[in-house]
Amino acid sequence: MRTEQDTLTIMPNRLQAKQGEVIDRSTTIRFTFDGREYSAHPGDTVASALTAAGVKVLSRSFKYHRPRGLLCCAGHCPNCLVQIGDEPNVRACTRPVEAGMEVQAQNVWPSLKRDLLSLTELGSRFMPVGFYYKTFIRPQKLWPLYEHTLRHAAGLGEAHIDTPPGEFDKQYLHTDVVVAGGGPAGISAALTAAEAGAQVLLFDENPTLGGHLRFTIPLESPSSTEVSKDSPELLEAVNQQPNITVFTDTSVLGWYQDNWLCAVKGTRLLKIRTKSMVVATGAYEMPLIFDNNDLPGVMLGGAVQRLVHLFGVLPGKQVVIVTANEDGWDLAADLHSLGVNVAAIVDEREPNACASPYRDGLVNAGVPVFYRHIILEAIGSSAVRGVMIARLDEHSKISRVTTQSLQCDLIVTSIGWTPATELAYMAGGKSEYNSDRAEILPVSTPPGIYVVGRAAGIHVVDSQITEAQQAGSNAAAFAGFGEFDEAAAQSPGVIEPRRTSDRVCVPGNKKRFVCYCEDVTDQDVETAIAEGYDSIELLKRYSTISMGPCQGAMCSMNTIHLCARANGSTVQETGTTTARPPITPVTLGALAGQNMEPVQITPIHQWHLDHSADMMVAGLWLRPNHYGNPVAEALCVRNRVGLIDVSPLGKLQLTGPGVPELLERIYINQWRNLRAGRVRYGVMCNDEGVVLNDGVCAHLRDDTWYMTTTSTGATTVFEWLQWWLQSGWGEGVHLTDLTDNYSAFNVAGPQSRAVLEKLTDRNLANKAFPYMRIRSARIAGVLCRLLRIGFTGELSYEVHCPSGYAVHVWEALMDAGREFGIAPFGVEAQRILRLEKGHIIVGQDTDAMSDPLSANMAWAVKLDKPDFLGKPSLMRIFAEGPKQLLVGFKMVEPDVVPAEGLQIVVPEMDGQLEIIGWVTSSRFSPTLEEVIGLCWLPTEIASQNGTSFSIRMDGHIAEARVHHGAFYDPDGERLRM
Amino acid sequence: MSIQLIRQAFSGDRPPPKMWRSHELKEQYDVVIIGGGAHGLACAYYLAKEHGITNVAVLEKSYIGAGGSGRNTAIIRSNYLTPEGVRFYDESVKLYEQLSAELNFNVMFSQRGHLTLAHTDGGVNTMRRRAEVNQIEGVNSRLIFPDEIKSLCPYLDVSDHPRYPILAALYHPPGGIIRHDAVVWGYAHQADVRGIHIHQNTAVTGIEVQDGKATGVETTRGCIKTGTVLNATAGWASTITTMVGLQLPLITIPLQACVTEPLKPFLDVVVVSGSLHVYISQTDRGELVMGASVDPFSSYSMAGSLTFLEGIAGHVLELFPSLSHVRILRQWAGICEMPPDYSPIMGFTPVDGFLIDVGWGTYGFKASPIAGKTLAELIATGKTPTLIAPFRLSRFEENNLVGEKGAAAVGH
Amino acid sequence: MLLLTCPNCGDRNVSEFHFGGELSSRPKDPSALSDAEWANYLYMHNNVMDAQTEWWHHNAGCGLWFLADRHTQTNEVIKTYPYTKRDA
Repeated sequence: MRTEQDTLTIMPNRLQAKQGEVIDRSTTIRFTFDGREYSAHPGDTVASALTAAGVKVLSRSFKYHRPRGLLCCAGHCPNCLVQIGDEPNVRACTRPVEAGMEVQAQNVWPSLKRDLLSLTELGSRFMPVGFYYKTFIRPQKLWPLYEHTLRHAAGLGEAHIDTPPGEFDKQYLHTDVVVAGGGPAGISAALTAAEAGAQVLLFDENPTLGGHLRFTIPLESPSSTEVSKDSPELLEAVNQQPNITVFTDTSVLGWYQDNWLCAVKGTRLLKIRTKSMVVATGAYEMPLIFDNNDLPGVMLGGAVQRLVHLFGVLPGKQVVIVTANEDGWDLAADLHSLGVNVAAIVDEREPNACASPYRDGLVNAGVPVFYRHIILEAIGSSAVRGVMIARLDEHSKISRVTTQSLQCDLIVTSIGWTPATELAYMAGGKSEYNSDRAEILPVSTPPGIYVVGRAAGIHVVDSQITEAQQAGSNAAAFAGFGEFDEAAAQSPGVIEPRRTSDRVCVPGNKKRFVCYCEDVTDQDVETAIAEGYDSIELLKRYSTISMGPCQGAMCSMNTIHLCARANGSTVQETGTTTARPPITPVTLGALAGQNMEPVQITPIHQWHLDHSADMMVAGLWLRPNHYGNPVAEALCVRNRVGLIDVSPLGKLQLTGPGVPELLERIYINQWRNLRAGRVRYGVMCNDEGVVLNDGVCAHLRDDTWYMTTTSTGATTVFEWLQWWLQSGWGEGVHLTDLTDNYSAFNVAGPQSRAVLEKLTDRNLANKAFPYMRIRSARIAGVLCRLLRIGFTGELSYEVHCPSGYAVHVWEALMDAGREFGIAPFGVEAQRILRLEKGHIIVGQDTDAMSDPLSANMAWAVKLDKPDFLGKPSLMRIFAEGPKQLLVGFKMVEPDVVPAEGLQIVVPEMDGQLEIIGWVTSSRFSPTLEEVIGLCWLPTEIASQNGTSFSIRMDGHIAEARVHHGAFYDPDGERLRM
Repeated sequence: MSIQLIRQAFSGDRPPPKMWRSHELKEQYDVVIIGGGAHGLACAYYLAKEHGITNVAVLEKSYIGAGGSGRNTAIIRSNYLTPEGVRFYDESVKLYEQLSAELNFNVMFSQRGHLTLAHTDGGVNTMRRRAEVNQIEGVNSRLIFPDEIKSLCPYLDVSDHPRYPILAALYHPPGGIIRHDAVVWGYAHQADVRGIHIHQNTAVTGIEVQDGKATGVETTRGCIKTGTVLNATAGWASTITTMVGLQLPLITIPLQACVTEPLKPFLDVVVVSGSLHVYISQTDRGELVMGASVDPFSSYSMAGSLTFLEGIAGHVLELFPSLSHVRILRQWAGICEMPPDYSPIMGFTPVDGFLIDVGWGTYGFKASPIAGKTLAELIATGKTPTLIAPFRLSRFEENNLVGEKGAAAVGH
Repeated sequence: MLLLTCPNCGDRNVSEFHFGGELSSRPKDPSALSDAEWANYLYMHNNVMDAQTEWWHHNAGCGLWFLADRHTQTNEVIKTYPYTKRDA
């Protein structure tokens, strides 16, 4: 029984402190994993701390719930995905541990250690790739039940319903050169470009620059380079270089058109426009496919080096290294020098193929070496206990009789690399399979895009640096700094073999995983191809390989090899799948940034809120729907006076001699004959004859006209007019958008004149200022435009005042109106009032297919004008006669309000209903004490006043009658008072 | 457990049966279908199954399902606005309901319910209009309000705080999602079984027309004589139609989508918001699949944009504020050919023997079975089935457009 | 994000612009057209997968409607230029 103290301090796998590590051993912090407490040092990642404590199993796999442990330790594979608090699918190997962190294993039941869902593996024989397509088909009724089970077995982390929104933001950057990746190649490219005078942004996903130099010893030619993790000259040079801005902990997510890059640093999204880009993003280490290759304790070489050098953690005591190149030997030498027991080096090559400078030293030190051997199987149930190896015969076939097992608790594979070239391919780069190198390498990139370092297949640090310097110089030149070196730009670079075998898979008789995210085995791949899913894209979609959290970083290269082999074709012919952003998964929060939903408010907005307005969304605008009682507001307008804020109306000023001609063309009505000082209602159509917008237009004086549009259509009309003006109809017309400059209020009701008279010297008498006229007047000292128009059906004035004075004018109107019982009214009251007058609302009573001849605006259509937008289409509708009409109706029952959107029907013989129309507007009219509305009906019914028809309401039928003309004051006498 | 799986489990090293085979291009086919997506393959299948026409080639320039069929967000519904649209898509849903059994391939049609949110009065009215039309046409849809919305989808923010508060929703229980690739593969397999030739990696380079009649198709693998050509190439429809000298009322525009990392199931319905231009569902694998409205400009490029990702993330968080830590895994794009009235264009053209199945905009995948079936009938009988008569090409000249454009701006 | 060069304002993000469709012109004398010709003008498009001349509006900028030659497969903008009557 351990004491609590033990639990806190035990980190059995922690090595002695050494230079280069990133942890602070002076402090110990605590966190929990699956409810159990662990300790860590600041600088540890969740995974390094757990590994230090001896934890091997971090997750369970997606399909079979097999135990999984650290594999890549670089944030690429799915094996260490955990839930941290509210955050699902966190990569434990890159997330710094924090004091008090609560880390949970995902997708396990009941626990990580004893996950009963792992029993699914017993049935794995019946669950080959795509098994779900072949089962649960009959009986069909049971499918929802199966589906429920499947769904609950799937998924990884949890999204908690009470997760707070969090804080995220965005940063915009413009630069000459972007260098993605801060290893030796990236740093060198950045330095060269910066020295040429270019502004450089250098991005790296790790907490510090240095790339693989942080955790590998520069073994190739230590004498010829001054770089190592112990000699930070490059880093110092970067710090000294004012033209370089470094972003660490920053992942570049994608390249988009015209060198628009996206990166993420924590909760901040970076959007970067650059002139050129150097891709120095390194390479993913390839796993080897063999029996039980997913057993915790099987790791990639880079993972072990990261753990050892950055965190002082050794994930095993007895290490077997499986390799086919010098990297494995480098690792062996590295571990051996730290006193680690290297139990064996298993090298696929002939002894003389190994050119490692460490070879003799390791052999002399007694490290067992198995040349021409290959790994067959990792032995163990939830962690590695040993390894089976076998000899290759002279034909490179596995000689099963030579099989032997070795004891070990850590198997490290180091067999080769997949260049991380997504950015280059997104930018349009082309790739080719290099069979000498057994890597797919970029062979051409668009101008201004350069690939260096391991991403270009260059592994020797010296070459990485010289190649990168050339690329950096060219990237700067492309951005306009210094001379472009054409020869260097096309130089293929020094490429030296890091991988001599294209063997990616060792057959056996257990499960061998190609794709760790989705539990896809090499057998699954073979089966899928045999079934006909034989192209790389079909294979991906059917097996779901490369579609999981690793996005192919671990599996794509191996899959291509397997696919090529199964099809008897080459890797080049097989090709790759398309690289798609984001390269690293990115949170919705970072992509969204701060909530930037635009909203438009009028200058009176605060007043409305202060007067308990219920606000509603109208396009981008927020408008008062009502101030408590819309019916009372409507009656106040009918009986006394009301005030509504109509500032969202579009307001356009047109000047010049060409205006009348333009208006004739864009409106369906006539304009030439409108004298100065007069106002006319106008309707605009497009050439299809569909109603676009309506509003009044005033002839202010001489060449000056003032047009209003609907609130939501204001920008559309402005853009529409600009188009016609600039594409040939603009002679003699100048257009200005005054929508924001002017605010507008409608003073409506029989007392409206009396209210205004208190605030102006202008003669408002009916004779001096009749209906449908415009005048300028000082209202409360502010020069305004007054339009005497009447959407509400009462005597009313629309007051257009400069927005800076809007609150003053509004309050003056309210003050002046107090003695007359003025009240503000909102959109709902206005809707009641206009409906009583039978006025339509474009967009509510009409839709994207309605023409004015049908939409009760036939009176406005002047088909005798020479030409106007929509005329030919309207001529045709006129000739054929509209099929439907928008018409008023009254309900027969006085208390039944059919909701807007209800359908007008006739019963058919078979009891079915046939739809013949629908209700667009309906209200109880407080003035008439009747239910009124507008609807679409077939012409033959609509054209007969009083014809009754049926509206389907809650499954019943309600009767209504066609009503022609306005419901209220049909002769418009009240408008002209 | 299916016999097929049991057989596969104990088959040892014997390879499983091929879903479809490769063939040499024949000199003559009775029908040539251009486009190996769900529409083209469905049409091929129904030609064989219902009309016994099996001398048919399906030509696919890439791999089957490479276009819109494998790029859509796999939403199936019939809650349209116009009676024509409702009837047509209702037939499609009915075929989808039987499709796993029909094709003996589980297409995983999950009828989990579909919510179209309304954030404005106008939106509520449109939803009510659709609910009413749906009910009259016998389709299960109704208008529901925040309490019920919350019970169907607890993660939605139904408070009045958001910029676009949720006022109501059109609830369409039969709507849901499906495994889109499986539809393609299922049809391909059953077409192959009936002797139809599926030619992948076979691009059409020209169409022979003599005396106003289509007589043959030129491909990258050789020429074919035929009397009937069906253009079922969706986003690329104009590029094929131009080979017979015709124009179409189409504009090709990208439509983008993205997917998150897998999460434990929490979203049981499909959620669509017209005002916020977003639709979202959770697959059986746990990923959230999300899409938006079409791109702001025409293009055949399938590169995808950051603007889309930023926009959809913001809009999804408006609806589901607790998802800010959920990660986007992958984005992609498909291309859609948008017609002026948001309704398909199906059937005959002025060139005899050259038929079209185009204009599928953002709503093509959900029509695959019924489009395939009705076009097969049209090809076999030479007569236009009533169900698709409103969608004829000549409607534009006749000024008889279909009013589906009146529905919400997002057509999912 | 695509960059477009506004003839007035220079290089700007495409998000500042509104796409106006492929270049087409309203018939000079609509009354002389048959129904079919008018329907062609209203609805038909070349919709090429190739270089296309098209309208753009700098709606978040100077308000200019101008023309761009853009390849619709790659989105590469070949050139942008102000509209003149002879482009009609």
